[in-house]
Amino acid sequence: MASRHALVLLVFLPLAGFSLATAIFWNRLPEELPVAVVDADRSLLSRRLVRMLDAAKSMRVAGPYATSGEALDEVLAGRAYGIVSVPRHFERDVKRGAAPKVVLHYDALTMIPGSILKRDVRAVVGTLSAGVEIQARRALGETPDVAGARFEPVRSLRGALFNPGLDYRAFLLPAVLATLLSIFVLVAGVHALGVELRDGTAAEWLASGGSATRAVLGKLLPQALWFTAVGLAALAFPLRFLDVPLRGSASLVALATLLLVLGYQAVALLLVAGSANLRFASSAAAFYGGPAFAFTGITFPTFGMPLAAQLWGALLPLTHFLALLLAQAMRGAPASASLSPLGALLAFVLVLPPLALWRMRRLMSDPAYWGRT
Amino acid sequence: MRSLFRAFREEVSGSLRDPGALLVLVGAISLYAFFYPTPYRREVLKEIPVAVVDLDRTPLSRQLVRLADAHELVRVAARAGSLAEAEALVRDGTAGGVLGIPEGFEREVKRGAPATVGVLADATYFLVYRQVLTGLAESVGTLSAGIEIRRLTAQGMPEEKARAFRDPVPLVSRPLFNPAEGYATYVVPPVLILILQQTLLIGIGLRGPADLGRLGSGPLLARAAASVTGRTLAFVALYLVHALFYFGVVARLFGFPVRGSAAAAAGLVLPFLLATSFLGLALSVLFRRREAAIQTLLFTSLPAIFLAGFSWPPSALPGWLRVASQAIPSTSAIPALLRVNQAGASLAHVRHELALLWGLAAVFFVLAVLAQAGRERAARRQ
Repeated sequence: MASRHALVLLVFLPLAGFSLATAIFWNRLPEELPVAVVDADRSLLSRRLVRMLDAAKSMRVAGPYATSGEALDEVLAGRAYGIVSVPRHFERDVKRGAAPKVVLHYDALTMIPGSILKRDVRAVVGTLSAGVEIQARRALGETPDVAGARFEPVRSLRGALFNPGLDYRAFLLPAVLATLLSIFVLVAGVHALGVELRDGTAAEWLASGGSATRAVLGKLLPQALWFTAVGLAALAFPLRFLDVPLRGSASLVALATLLLVLGYQAVALLLVAGSANLRFASSAAAFYGGPAFAFTGITFPTFGMPLAAQLWGALLPLTHFLALLLAQAMRGAPASASLSPLGALLAFVLVLPPLALWRMRRLMSDPAYWGRT
Repeated sequence: MRSLFRAFREEVSGSLRDPGALLVLVGAISLYAFFYPTPYRREVLKEIPVAVVDLDRTPLSRQLVRLADAHELVRVAARAGSLAEAEALVRDGTAGGVLGIPEGFEREVKRGAPATVGVLADATYFLVYRQVLTGLAESVGTLSAGIEIRRLTAQGMPEEKARAFRDPVPLVSRPLFNPAEGYATYVVPPVLILILQQTLLIGIGLRGPADLGRLGSGPLLARAAASVTGRTLAFVALYLVHALFYFGVVARLFGFPVRGSAAAAAGLVLPFLLATSFLGLALSVLFRRREAAIQTLLFTSLPAIFLAGFSWPPSALPGWLRVASQAIPSTSAIPALLRVNQAGASLAHVRHELALLWGLAAVFFVLAVLAQAGRERAARRQ
């Protein structure tokens, strides 16, 4: 019975979790995001704009809708991520040089689709606007070359460093996999140690190891090797099959993965030693490991957080691991840039276990601490 | 009916005497509400350090650097002698982007030829990328517009007309439902809904399956149904208070937009909580030990977030996963509740999700009854 539960925690759940995360990010980028169009002009020019929007790879035009109310209904029903409104007399006003405004309302409750729409609608309308300006310049007598040169005196050539395809998957999937790994290691470690106290078998456990340190290591080290192997396999899969890059040092990432696993085992040991109660230690592990992703700086960077959140993030091995992983995998940073996260990971492994073992020794030999739930 | 009320009463008094379950069912609710949002308290990422490579060193190039530094999203934190040097600053994490001004920049502009500047942003972190690119590109756009308008007015065009001439089809972009585009406003409300689901599932798992023998000696299925219904009444009553606290108090405390009607929100929350409670009771027979609920369900929060559509569009999910994910209550409850609470949608707008949640509630009710009855039968045989 106990071994079946261990099998679930060590094998079944990690495989399920890693597969699920990989499946979620199987596709690279959202395409053909629906955008509702309200064309109050229905002229040649407005229809050209709608066709240009529809031709953009990232979006698909829904409608046109007769009123903005109808278009808003589409957004409220979750069928469109934004509304593009073309005003009445659009073509006439463009020809008169009255600069009629095209308005994009984008759904800011969904960050990725909203920002993709904002970027790509801007690009499409900008292209149309530049075309109109060039025509107007030619009407003033400029040659095509001169008009083409003068329409925007300073242009920016934009580039994305280290992730040229702007692949959200390359950035999110490895981070999610590592977060799941940290949760599985923590839960399995807390269980392996705490179950001996819960069931009152700590004396035999201690005897089988000879010393508290050896008994604890005997439980945790096999798990550490297993989780490091499974974690590396989970991280390697997207590298091999999903075009997720690893530009820096693979051995540095592997070493950091081992330290991540050992670091979370050290935390597990501390939680069990501190509480002597498997259920309470599991609850504490949930609080420590569950919301960790938010504090790592992956989605919202650390330097933008208030100090308290930065400090909590620094107390999570995951934060340091992800900083190292992204620096190595995406940026191909030099090893020297990854020394400080590596040192932080090492600190968890070196500092916590001696503290926890000191108390663990007493828990393992005093029946007063056993059987608590 | 009497056994139903008995199951309700026993769940209430049993939970109150169960500190482990109370910690999850009550304590975690307020703890997470104030702990989880702390990283996002500042809402908008501003003043990101960027590196400048100014190979032109003219008044015009310096003007561009000043414009960039004045933009609220970025600040000029370093100067580099070459593009490679600037890229190294981004690579080691010192800068989030690069503004590269080539030699001859001012000369080109004066000659009337289009000049190009390089705007590079670190796409390792997406929020950094977006903010840096927006900040630098807008600074370049401001400089360019100024130059073009000055040229046109020099030719005798009135300024107003010149402005329209240089951008004959202007675009106005407006964010919906989250006017400041705050990150907390985007991420915290859906996570609060997920916390309701996860703590309820884990809390019910900690409480464990019911002892149907205490509900008299009627038919087994009837007793199981009475137990499932009575206990769910207790859980849902408690969680309606939690939902009111989250959507009514916490949302206002953090300044999230609240546009929806309370009635529409309640109409969605009810089937969401029913479905979650029935699912929890169905799963509870799988947990042989109390802590097993925490151990097995903890990892599901992160995938559930990415399946709920607000951070990763459902259209990007593989088809089978999009269908399978509908079995999780949060997959439809989160987008529907966000649109009702923050965008002011009516129940008619979310009728698809509403129907799905009632369907899940019905299916999970049957599963919970069968699971509890099956467990009782197995226990009696032993």
